[in-house]
Amino acid sequence: MEILSGLMQGFAVALQPMNLLWCLLGVVLGTVVGVMPGLGPPATIAMLLPLTFLMNPSSAIIMLAGIYYGAKYGGSTTAILLNVPGESASVATCIDGYQMARKGRAGPALGIAAIASFIAGTFGVLGLMLVAPPLAKMALAFSSPEYFALMSLGLAMVVLLAGRSMIKALLATLVGLWIAGIGIDPFSTTARFTFGSRELLSGLDFVIVAIGVFAIGEVLANMEGREAVKALPVPKGLRNLLPTMQDMKDSRFAFANGSIIGFLIGVLPGAGSTIASFISYGVEKAVSRRPEEFGKGAVEGVAAPEAANNSETGGALVPMLTLAIPGSSTTAILLAALVLWGFKPGPLFIPENPAMFWGLVASMYVGNLMLLVLNLPLVPLFAQVLRAPAYVLYPAILGISVVGVYSTSGSHFDVWLLAGFGLMGYLMRKLDYPAAPLILGLVLGGALERALRQSLMMSEGSLSILVTRPISAVMLSLAVLILLIPLFNKFNHWRLRALEK
Amino acid sequence: MRKSLVMVAALAFAAPVLAQGFTPTRPVEVVVHTGPGGGSDVLARAVALIIEKEKLVPVRMQVANKPGGGGTVAAAYLAEKKGESHTIGFFTGVWLTNPLTIEKANVTLKDLTPIARLVLEPAVIAVKADAPYKTLGDFVNAAKQKPGELKQSGGSITSRDNVVRQQLQKVSGARWAFISFPGGGERIAALLGGHVNMMVIEPAEAGEHIRAGNIRVLAQVSDKRLPAYPGVPTLKEAGFDVTPVPQVRGVVAPPGIPRENVVYWEGVFKKLSQTESWKKFLADNQFEDGYQGAADLAKFYDDFSQQMRVVLQEAGIKLVR
Repeated sequence: MEILSGLMQGFAVALQPMNLLWCLLGVVLGTVVGVMPGLGPPATIAMLLPLTFLMNPSSAIIMLAGIYYGAKYGGSTTAILLNVPGESASVATCIDGYQMARKGRAGPALGIAAIASFIAGTFGVLGLMLVAPPLAKMALAFSSPEYFALMSLGLAMVVLLAGRSMIKALLATLVGLWIAGIGIDPFSTTARFTFGSRELLSGLDFVIVAIGVFAIGEVLANMEGREAVKALPVPKGLRNLLPTMQDMKDSRFAFANGSIIGFLIGVLPGAGSTIASFISYGVEKAVSRRPEEFGKGAVEGVAAPEAANNSETGGALVPMLTLAIPGSSTTAILLAALVLWGFKPGPLFIPENPAMFWGLVASMYVGNLMLLVLNLPLVPLFAQVLRAPAYVLYPAILGISVVGVYSTSGSHFDVWLLAGFGLMGYLMRKLDYPAAPLILGLVLGGALERALRQSLMMSEGSLSILVTRPISAVMLSLAVLILLIPLFNKFNHWRLRALEK
Repeated sequence: MRKSLVMVAALAFAAPVLAQGFTPTRPVEVVVHTGPGGGSDVLARAVALIIEKEKLVPVRMQVANKPGGGGTVAAAYLAEKKGESHTIGFFTGVWLTNPLTIEKANVTLKDLTPIARLVLEPAVIAVKADAPYKTLGDFVNAAKQKPGELKQSGGSITSRDNVVRQQLQKVSGARWAFISFPGGGERIAALLGGHVNMMVIEPAEAGEHIRAGNIRVLAQVSDKRLPAYPGVPTLKEAGFDVTPVPQVRGVVAPPGIPRENVVYWEGVFKKLSQTESWKKFLADNQFEDGYQGAADLAKFYDDFSQQMRVVLQEAGIKLVR
């Protein structure tokens, strides 16, 4: 009942014409920022911060949050069309999304991404509304050993991302883990693998590696076969540009899986949307009846990660609003905004500012609806991008990639790194090494190492801490189970053949 | 939105030009070493807002994030801007400590032009509300009885958190573990979740958790008691003869800028430190006004580095400079 009256109060705030306008502005800006690789939500929110002082705080948080979740909608666009992950959370979307586009199904891919985003985004808000305070307390049960187990679980997904050769997938993962180790070691402030370069002290930005390996590598590989360089097929007619009923049916489980996993991982301050999207992609493939379609343009391979990274937004707001604990740089700057407006974020923020909290929640329902209405009609438009001839499209992808990388850091060194990783991506394609495991290793590597070392500091060097804590033990066992899937499949295969004989 | 931007710009240009040798004529780049939302970033943006509101500078202040290497990237960036009068940077204590332990952090604060020290951040020592320790003495005694079993969450080993631990361990002979968490949120999450026993936390952040009954404060890392914590003893009052290392934030400029530019920026920040908006910002965040001009700041560098050198050596951390 309390929730219902809160929500009514919230809609009274969110549906005020000015607030609707701010919400619209936020989600439109968010979509634009999400579509462009490089400039992300934290930088955008920071730039708009001075303006928010002219607004009332409820309107301001409605707009800034709009940018945050709006960007998640936009992030899938370049991932699907150009194999350029706009945000780190859309790397998993590249895997099947780009393959769908290559098969002339760019429209349905973009459409399913928007629908998945809407369903999961709404689920995330629902979660934020219903279970925020108790869930935040539960999330505190997670500490380093549990994070280590979660990262291991994520890493085990590699067996599901592997192409033809498991060995190659594992090798790519190891390289990813190694790249994650470059930079200053946070525990001892020792520089590792920096080869005397000051730029490398801060480690390698994951976006540079992802754009290099995915987008630049893809462009180089495509340029090679001249006769193959022709525009991708884009079917005419609106019906072919939106997901079919079959697509929706195939994605049913992915919507649910992504929504739940995304939200739960979002609540954990030390995890993040990239991990959420990879894990839900892995789960989707693991339970799928047609796992062989994954990586070749399975529609549920787009729906699951897109759902996860949108539902994560609602989850990430839980520790931020209930405990003032930010899990990402976007929630950190939202938190800073609250402080600058004169609020005191913390455990008492929601009880003491109910109008603001419920206004935000209600605006997120409205905003997600706006995003769906906004993004679906854009699908046919965006799909036309692929009609561009190769001599326009490929240089454009290169341009977008370079600008995207340069705009985040303003450093030439990063552009050279991008070129290097582009070359690496090309070679990996030639030698048939899958790129996704490399990215997975890179994303999880830093957090995995930190969590392990923190765990060992807690236990004074005893590894038993990882298995004596129940949550950690369960997740580690799951990880081992997943790693055994290929062996089990082989055994099954062999058994069936034996039976036939 | 564009309209208000134009308005802001118009207001900025209408501001009276200060009668001095140098005034910026184009937007000023404000370099910080964290990403958006990090400590320096938030401070720089707050300062930029107040400067704009109080019309202390006739142009816009644009925050530029140069994250990485615990400040080394931003420091190097400033060093490369030699002689550039439209760039300033916000430094913190790590700009002084990193060059002591990292070979490649070869731009030190001494290579840049000091402008002003702005803020001293006090801290408090907190435990979970249901912990058995009522005083800092209780905690230290418990640590003595079970060496290495109690844990503290904090930042990197060169952070103030660890310095406080090293100092307390030295005077008391107790020993407890220090667990590094790169993000401030993870540190408090570890404490609230009961995974560590103690942490050094910013007073404003602690305040809300105290009000909610989540944590208890045992002592304050400060020379004198903070207004918000009248009943909590300082380290010395709690019986530990330890000189608190200040967490400091301030402003530097690239090397080789003319004397008049230094005077100009020093003047701007002196005026800033006297505005009501700034005093409110300090009070809201429970920061101490740490204003020092350029000359004093240069001396502060030396004292601080010397103090840190000793602390880090005692902590068994290898010094490279």
